[in-house]
Amino acid sequence: MSKDPVSVYGFINAKLRAKIGLMRQSRIIEDLLKAASLVEAVSVLRDSPYHALAEAYDQTGDLQQMEYVLLEMEIAMYREVASYLEGKSATFVNHLLGKIEVDNLKNSIRLWYSSIIRGRPIRYRSGYLYKQTILHPIDWTAMVNATGWETLLKALGQSPYEGILKEYTEQDLQKDGLFSLESKLDGFWYEHMLSGIQTLSRQDREVASAIFAVEVDLKNLLTLARYGWYHRMEGSALRTLLLPWGKVAESKETERYIQAPVDDRDPVALINRFAGGLEQDSPFVQRGSIHSEETSVLENLKIEDYLEKRRHALYRKMLSSDPFTIALALSYFFLNKEESSMIKAILNGKYYGYDEAYIRGVIG
Amino acid sequence: MNLFTRPMKLLTAVVLEQTSDAVVRALLALGVLDFVHINKLDPQQMERLSSRPSTISRSALEDMRHRVEALLKQGHITIPAADTLDVKRVETPQLEQYKQQIDALSASLLSLKEKQKDSNQQLMSLEELRRYILEDKGEYLDLRLGELTHGKAEDLMLKISGFGGLMEPVAGTEKFISLTLRRDVSQVDPLLEKFGWVESSDVELQRQALLLIKTRLDEEHSKALKKRGAIEQEVDAVVASHQVQLYAIWSNLRLNELCDQIKSYFAYTRNTTLFSGWVPTDQAMLVEKAIKEASEGQCVIEWTEASSMPREQVPVAMTSPKALAPFQKIVNNYSTPEYGTVNPTIFVMVAYLSMFGLMFADVGQGLVLLLVGLMGSHSYKTHPLKPDGMLSRNVTSLLVYLGLSSMVFGALFGSYFGLPLLPALWFNYEAAVAGHSQGSLVNDVYGILGITIRFGIIIIYTGLVLNWVNLIRKKAYLTLFLDKNGLLGGLLFGIGLFMGFGFVRSGYRTFPSQSWVAPVVTVSLFLLFARGFISYFLSVRKGGERHEISHVILDSVMEFLVDVLEIFTGYLSNTLSFMRVAGLGIAHASLMESFKQLSSMMDGFGGVAIFILGNVLVIVLEGLSAGIQSLRLNYYEFFSRYFTGKGVAYEPVGLSNTRSEKR
Repeated sequence: MSKDPVSVYGFINAKLRAKIGLMRQSRIIEDLLKAASLVEAVSVLRDSPYHALAEAYDQTGDLQQMEYVLLEMEIAMYREVASYLEGKSATFVNHLLGKIEVDNLKNSIRLWYSSIIRGRPIRYRSGYLYKQTILHPIDWTAMVNATGWETLLKALGQSPYEGILKEYTEQDLQKDGLFSLESKLDGFWYEHMLSGIQTLSRQDREVASAIFAVEVDLKNLLTLARYGWYHRMEGSALRTLLLPWGKVAESKETERYIQAPVDDRDPVALINRFAGGLEQDSPFVQRGSIHSEETSVLENLKIEDYLEKRRHALYRKMLSSDPFTIALALSYFFLNKEESSMIKAILNGKYYGYDEAYIRGVIG
Repeated sequence: MNLFTRPMKLLTAVVLEQTSDAVVRALLALGVLDFVHINKLDPQQMERLSSRPSTISRSALEDMRHRVEALLKQGHITIPAADTLDVKRVETPQLEQYKQQIDALSASLLSLKEKQKDSNQQLMSLEELRRYILEDKGEYLDLRLGELTHGKAEDLMLKISGFGGLMEPVAGTEKFISLTLRRDVSQVDPLLEKFGWVESSDVELQRQALLLIKTRLDEEHSKALKKRGAIEQEVDAVVASHQVQLYAIWSNLRLNELCDQIKSYFAYTRNTTLFSGWVPTDQAMLVEKAIKEASEGQCVIEWTEASSMPREQVPVAMTSPKALAPFQKIVNNYSTPEYGTVNPTIFVMVAYLSMFGLMFADVGQGLVLLLVGLMGSHSYKTHPLKPDGMLSRNVTSLLVYLGLSSMVFGALFGSYFGLPLLPALWFNYEAAVAGHSQGSLVNDVYGILGITIRFGIIIIYTGLVLNWVNLIRKKAYLTLFLDKNGLLGGLLFGIGLFMGFGFVRSGYRTFPSQSWVAPVVTVSLFLLFARGFISYFLSVRKGGERHEISHVILDSVMEFLVDVLEIFTGYLSNTLSFMRVAGLGIAHASLMESFKQLSSMMDGFGGVAIFILGNVLVIVLEGLSAGIQSLRLNYYEFFSRYFTGKGVAYEPVGLSNTRSEKR
């Protein structure tokens, strides 16, 4: 017999709310931005929940090593939340952890690609790869050491990614690069996650479906703006990148946008159709007949920033919804991921010597 | 220790502007003045005054200080303590100069860190090779033995290291061993070819190759590890070499921040500076003397008694002995008492420890708590910079008291790790719970419940008496007589207790039927009802706002109804709430009895293990429950009788206390 929502989420609700409360009070991001150098930024992390990053920096002086620690923390976070849940809710949280596995898989394939296809030695770079089991027993070491595509496929073992990777040959990758494969892996994760939603209890299913419907739409809008407008991708290729769910993918406006000549595509109109308020939110520089590179970059950044803000608002709203559903855990994951991504971006910005205003502009 | 909050005085001083800096330094060194912002002064007085913008931005000072702290932390050097600050050394901060010094140090650290990163990456390459050898994953390695026919070996070694590999000459021969990763073979092959590499067919040497290269690999690995560690130490050493300079900058910045903070409360005329603030009365002479000395006697000082100021504006300072710090913290966590009222710390201490002891009475388990508390306190004392863990500084100090209380009550109830090793000084709690206590003062759980109810009544009446004392000091006589927590409330509570105990004494059959009860209750209720009207009448007489009579009647009736409800249900629920003390105590005794029985079922080690585990469980879980419940009873049952929490905390600006800037 399934437990009632209060028994399932009572404890995790209190725990995550306390953590979210601490996150909200935290001045880490602001203090990191104000730090004058990487050394000074790291000191901000010393007395924070991210002190392990500072320890890694003390030992190695290596920013990528800090990112690795951040990744370990992220995985630990998912596992911790899953450990407080049980049954289908815990399984679903593991589905979410699958995104990190997919990203790790993409990183491994990129390393392999760099080494074998492009002939650039990866040297120490494999050291930054997470090699423990995340969800499936993938032999990460064997992957980066594979001397051929077939060997790499063997390293995947019985993981569900094998089928997708098998659709590609070494020659395909040599010719077309990794973009298509990586998009498929992302799509696969979404598919897997959406089917995971169907196994949840009714309340959880409703909440998670609502969140991910918006999430999928925002992701598709981002794809349409980034690849369809900024990278000027041709229609048929663009269509394959869309996640086949949600309002955006199914709409006629999207189809018209895809079929339109690249110079006639208007991402602002499309975004306002599904997530109105882009121009009101940030004054948008209208694209004129002269397509300057700088303007495009800025406009693309604005679009991406706008869509990210919409996601942020979505998860914030979830915090005030029914406390005894999976929504709180989803919001917590999002806020945590957002904070760690910002920390990563700021530390990188400091490493490359960018000033506070520039980094602030980039992270939004 | 003061039984009441410390008496305060309001200082208003005028000094000549040329001496104001010296006055600032003197006040900062004393650190007892809780400044009042000039905008809180009388508006007429304000018109003649002006504030002046600071010449240095305090946020710039703060930012710079944070930079210094960041560098000190990078060198694992502690931030200077507040007691190292010396106001005599304050100078005008040279921000530009400081910035250059900090930038230069930061740059040199970054350059060292960059080297450390390179060293780390080299180490990672070597670690990968080493791991594959140790894990016997030869399939990832490309080990070769051969000779060069062109070029210099040094050049090839350098190029091989670019792939994260190693090349080692074989002693006494012309041969070399090359170790790279098999994944790099497509780049290594052409490279070796370029140097005319000829594979050796020396089978014996081939067998030794892995061992030989592993020795070199271990050496290189150890070298790289040492190098990376040496850079880490070098970073610390570089910061340490600048420690004196950084400390000096830090101290000057901090002092300037504090001076600026004090000056922000100042107001100015053309030639004079005016400031105002609260001082504990016992410090007033000291402050006056310091101002006179700093201003060379050219000052006007005026003192205003707290009694002539609205009570809610007077900051509240409480003095309790350091030993009572954990209980002071309990009070502070709740709120600040009103000025001039009772300092609740000592009462909280007695109430908290009694409640805890009654719920967690055991000499052995108390001893464990005491030892944990002592060890924790000692650890924090010997490592003053250690951050607070799950058992914070305050909790470890509290544990010492809780342990002692538990031991005292344990001796009274004759419990030593749940065992009756010595006879109980009062009564055997476990025997009473189990119902086989004979001829004792308390023989069953009803007796225990009776004790805790009586204990609760004492606590509630103590709260009421403290409230009456507070009301007398506040001269709030109407409230003293007619409030639900005043004498009238106390009387009704007393009648309720009389009726309740009478009912119990009759075997739960009848209430006492004394003739005075009904008239006293009726008169009391009438007085309670009249309170609203009397209060309104007195308020109007003092010039308060007039209201329509219908409003006054409605307000008074509503207030009366709420008060009656609170008196009858509030006092009852507050009293019965103390049954939790018995509940927790009974649970404690029952759990120990269960573990004893379980351990007696097993012989030898198993029995001992169960007994120890049971005690550990009880100490952790019951100890936590008893601590929380004691806190709850203090906050809700005890404080709600007398603690209004309307006070404003006294927060002087000093070298070690700067919280008043938040006000």
